[in-house]
Amino acid sequence: MMPTLASAQPDILQEIIFGDKPAPSEAAAWSDGLFLMITWFSIFSFIVVMALMVYFVIKYRRRPGVPAQPSPHHNLHIEILWTVIPSSSMLVMFIYGFQGYAAKVVSPDDALELKIRGAKWSWVATYPNGARSNEYQPLSYQEEVNEATMTTTVRQGKDYPIFYVPENTDVKLRMMSTDVIHSFWIPEYRTKMDVVPNRYTGFNFRTPALTTNDIVNYTDENGVVTEIVGRDMWAFCAEYCGDDHSRMAATIRIVPQEVYDQRMDAWGETLSPEEEGRKLWNQVCKTCHQIDGTRLVGPTWNSVKNADGQFGFGYEAALADGSSVMRDDNYYRESILDPNAKIVNGFAPAMVSYQGILSDEDIDNLIAFIKTLSDRNPNAGEDAESDAEADTQSTESETEEAGSDS
Amino acid sequence: MSTLDTHTAHHEEGSYFSGPPGMMAKIWQWASTVDHKKIGVMYLFAVLFMFFLGGMAAISVRYELLDPIRTTITETVDANTLDTVTTEVTTGESLKELLGAMGLAETLSGTQIYNRAFTLHGAIMVFMFIIPAIPAALGNFFLPIMLGAKDVAFPRLNLMSWYIYLFGCTFGVGSILLGGVDTGWTFYTPYSTTTDADHWRVVLMVLAAFILGFSSILTGLNFVVTVHKLRAPGMGWFDMPLMIWALYATSIIQVLATPVIGITLLLLMFERLMHIGIFDPALGGDPVLYQHFFWFYSHPVVYVMILPGMGIISEVLAVHSRKHIFGYRAIAFSSLGIAGVSFLVWGHHIFTAMGELAAILFSGLTFLVAIPTAIKIFNWIATLYKSSIVINTPMLYALMFLFTFSIGGLTGLPLATLATDLHLHDSYYVVAHFHYVMMGGTVIAFMSGLHHWWPKMFGKMYNEPGAMLATVIVFFGFNLTFFTQFFLGTQGMPRRYANYVDEFQFLHQLSTYGSLLLLLGFLIHLAVFVHSLFAGAKAPANPWGGLTLEWECTSPPIEHNFHHEPLVTHGPYDFDKVVPPHWDPKDYPLPENPSSH
Repeated sequence: MMPTLASAQPDILQEIIFGDKPAPSEAAAWSDGLFLMITWFSIFSFIVVMALMVYFVIKYRRRPGVPAQPSPHHNLHIEILWTVIPSSSMLVMFIYGFQGYAAKVVSPDDALELKIRGAKWSWVATYPNGARSNEYQPLSYQEEVNEATMTTTVRQGKDYPIFYVPENTDVKLRMMSTDVIHSFWIPEYRTKMDVVPNRYTGFNFRTPALTTNDIVNYTDENGVVTEIVGRDMWAFCAEYCGDDHSRMAATIRIVPQEVYDQRMDAWGETLSPEEEGRKLWNQVCKTCHQIDGTRLVGPTWNSVKNADGQFGFGYEAALADGSSVMRDDNYYRESILDPNAKIVNGFAPAMVSYQGILSDEDIDNLIAFIKTLSDRNPNAGEDAESDAEADTQSTESETEEAGSDS
Repeated sequence: MSTLDTHTAHHEEGSYFSGPPGMMAKIWQWASTVDHKKIGVMYLFAVLFMFFLGGMAAISVRYELLDPIRTTITETVDANTLDTVTTEVTTGESLKELLGAMGLAETLSGTQIYNRAFTLHGAIMVFMFIIPAIPAALGNFFLPIMLGAKDVAFPRLNLMSWYIYLFGCTFGVGSILLGGVDTGWTFYTPYSTTTDADHWRVVLMVLAAFILGFSSILTGLNFVVTVHKLRAPGMGWFDMPLMIWALYATSIIQVLATPVIGITLLLLMFERLMHIGIFDPALGGDPVLYQHFFWFYSHPVVYVMILPGMGIISEVLAVHSRKHIFGYRAIAFSSLGIAGVSFLVWGHHIFTAMGELAAILFSGLTFLVAIPTAIKIFNWIATLYKSSIVINTPMLYALMFLFTFSIGGLTGLPLATLATDLHLHDSYYVVAHFHYVMMGGTVIAFMSGLHHWWPKMFGKMYNEPGAMLATVIVFFGFNLTFFTQFFLGTQGMPRRYANYVDEFQFLHQLSTYGSLLLLLGFLIHLAVFVHSLFAGAKAPANPWGGLTLEWECTSPPIEHNFHHEPLVTHGPYDFDKVVPPHWDPKDYPLPENPSSH
């Protein structure tokens, strides 16, 4: 590729523009170099134009009784000059831009393929062995310990999934959306691509070799934090997709090959249906459905009775059309595959169908998990009628808002 | 442009706004008027009101962005009992707290309120302010006068456009009063066809845009016919002021592009209300198709916004520097060139959602549109050479336009370049870029033109030092607000975000402080205008020494603009040959050897 102005050691201008992290790949550095080239060209043109303007404004300021001096009203030569120079500069930008674009979207044959699925409002990555990431961390985290008052203050944003990728590897993203249009942007790789329903899109990037300066915090299942070799970078949703668009993010974590392999083995392992269900909820469902009684876009899953009504497996659901239905296995299955068939009173039909996205086994696992959240036994239903009727009376319709059950 | 009628002293009849006595009679006279000047003035107050509404939405957006949404967990160990006390506080939902204190919008989350605020800002500013601002308000008032005509070609149609505009605005404002829309002003599918599914708000807002389109088409049609048929005797195509060329190019775009958005919004409504699958893949449609349709209109419309602004700058620079515009034909043809090429570049809004070949083609075509714009900038700078420049509010705004619009244009280059666009697309860099073009271009030009023509429109001078102070505040406020956003974008901040990572907070706060400065500047402008209307000095007929026909009328003009049909005997910019109307040759010295062409 043609050389550009970006260097491996970012200079001060590069730091101001792109932040203090060095570009992680050749394609990203090349793109920065092109940006800097255009920026220098722009700064130069801007200064020439503004300097002339300021000079003229001072030199030719109006003096009473002094007329403007005569000068030609046009000049073909100079007009041709200032048409040709910008045109040819832009031709150069166009060609360089095309080359850099090719480097970002054309991937090598042996690239590691990562499936990215966007849904309102979370990202899910599926690895070649079918495993999905099950680690989460906030993008912003500040901890302050005050010894004197024995106070620990943690200020953090929402938890987002961590997607592991091995170092020194070409990674190819194969992306699709399940609902509206999203866009997957990794700012450090200087690349984004829209994530569209019913169509695959993608781009590729090469992970760098890690150095001893690359350290990240790894939190295991028990909450113990250790430092491991790795490099974290942000991934954001860049195409407006609704309520929590600004809280749809992920961490891309570049790790040594052996850490990656070990993660793949752990995530690929088969768990009990309940645990698999919990994992799926974490990855797919929790942006709209809580399990602690909180009202989100959709109803909570645990058995709880609050201002919105009675929830939980084995309890009757009051529906928007005035009827009620028992929340049993088939109710949940239907609500996943055809969410608008039965809408819980007080919630809006906001959920899309997961037909073709979740397998039959996934749905079984989810229902197994939902059952663990209820204080009713799994075979409840027949004798629950009278309780449920009493419960629905306290249900209030809360107008507008939020989604279907499941 | 001297006319046959140079003696206006014995013609002291009333100005266009001196109406019959009685409040109701006056209101009826304005409501039923076919006078292009009255319609222009009504448009002016309407768009200024919309600018205020949209500006308030912008300030809300900036207010929310002072803080990201954070959960603060404090764990304190009690020294006596050794118990750990944990408290959890969520901060950063500024708008929700503000509205909550007012008892409003209690069922909405912080991000939902933010999404409504930026949608309202975009929809109001684009559809109800910036598209009609220059053509419908200033254009309506000055296009016929600058051509030497009594009125536009179809005065009744003009009144109808105004009522259609009002009707459209009613739908838009109605949708806000019902609780607002969260689709973004672009209404991207399938989000816009599925969100808020059980409510009419989105439908109302889409209808508003649909109806406002008709107002735009009819005004454009009216202007095209007026320019063709009603030029004063002696005024050939190349004797027209450049403002007219710009409005002519604008009108052509309005007539040709606006029907496409009408059809597109209609299709969107079919899908939303009748579930006919056009854009939603769940119904068998194609979601990206909508973006093609939408930008096929909305890109040319970017030039509907900026071309009239360029026309104003050509007028203001020439008049206030007493200089013949440099490269008249180049500027006129570049307006038409921009209008033509603008139809071929819509794809650059969709680089991240289209195939490789299409992306490459659109990238190349996009660079083409930059060239006529660059030529205009060079021509304007060259106009200042050997001129006689006075610094007042219109001129200050025109020079500010050259500054901000150049930045807006140059920062567009990395967006047309494919490799860098993949990074910058949908980021704050884009937000900064189009605000430099739309606000730093169109709004600044509008302010320039408004001050330039204010004495003509209302017959009153404004307070020059007050307006210049406001101009300087607007300049610093504008640059502080938006220059910071370029860096937010290159560092990774996506647009339309209510929430962000800690690293971006400093720049966001700077930007918010800038927006408050901007607000202060515009409030001073408002005060200056109100003061001028009630207590301003009487404006002379030609305060700046302009040569175009509007400066031959009285300030404000009489009902039929001219006492006699004007006869054009010189060009609009022959400042080196002609003493402007109503001026004394002593106050307006001419060079001894005027240039011949």
